Amino acid sequence: MLSCKQVTGLGSDLIDRQLTLRAHMALLAHLGLCSRCRRYVRQLRLTSRTLQALAMEDEPASAEILARVRKRQPDPRPR
Amino acid sequence: MDNEFELVRQIRRGDAAACTALIQAHHRFLVAMATPLVGPALADDVAQETWLKAFAAIGEFQGRSRLRTWLARIALNEARALLRRSRREVSLDCDQPDGMPPLAGRFTAEGAWARPPMDWHHDTPEALLTEAELLECIRKHLFRLPDAQRAVVLMRELGGLEFAEMAAATGLSEGNVRVLLHRARQRMHAMLEHFEEQGTC
Repeated sequence: MLSCKQVTGLGSDLIDRQLTLRAHMALLAHLGLCSRCRRYVRQLRLTSRTLQALAMEDEPASAEILARVRKRQPDPRPR
Repeated sequence: MDNEFELVRQIRRGDAAACTALIQAHHRFLVAMATPLVGPALADDVAQETWLKAFAAIGEFQGRSRLRTWLARIALNEARALLRRSRREVSLDCDQPDGMPPLAGRFTAEGAWARPPMDWHHDTPEALLTEAELLECIRKHLFRLPDAQRAVVLMRELGGLEFAEMAAATGLSEGNVRVLLHRARQRMHAMLEHFEEQGTC
């Protein structure tokens, strides 16, 4: 049986579907019995999905960057 | 995704406002992703070249991935080309000091939870990201991650790239990439947990 500590170490491999069948079964067996680890894995997944949805806007420079790009390539339209 | 298609349509027509909006949405991400790979001095060049290529090739974007993923792939190619031209290699420092493991002291000697995770007030990304203070805190902690961890978390979570692509871009094995990603996620989880429990960054 995996310990809770071991389960937390496998959280990302579960999220990213990188576990072998055997490890996956062992992990599911533990999670079926351990609400604390279920909560941890759920929170780790939420952390991952939150980062996926994270925006990184950068307002002030964008017009200037476009101007620089356009100087090198006057017409961005596909020919 | 629908919004992305509309934006792409406008860019294909040469709409300057749409081009600016695209740059505004993704430039900082491209620079942040390129910085650990090529260094801060060249990261801007990588982003610049990425825009040049992206606007020239926008007609080829088919919407099979998110725009951010499509741009990230172009940026990785540009980073590789730039390193090749300057006869340098990616020098990701994977042994940068990482501090205490995020879950240190949370388990008994037998590996059972001593201080288990508590329920959070927020249970969706949308709910978490609408809290202005929390959003700021996430960004701050993202930039505090060791370079190698920040590189993989930006490539995977924000960029939506595959492990093989990340391994090729960093010169690391896929196994090492997965370890770095897990450490980064655990660290960001610890930050969110602190915010949920204490209400402060």
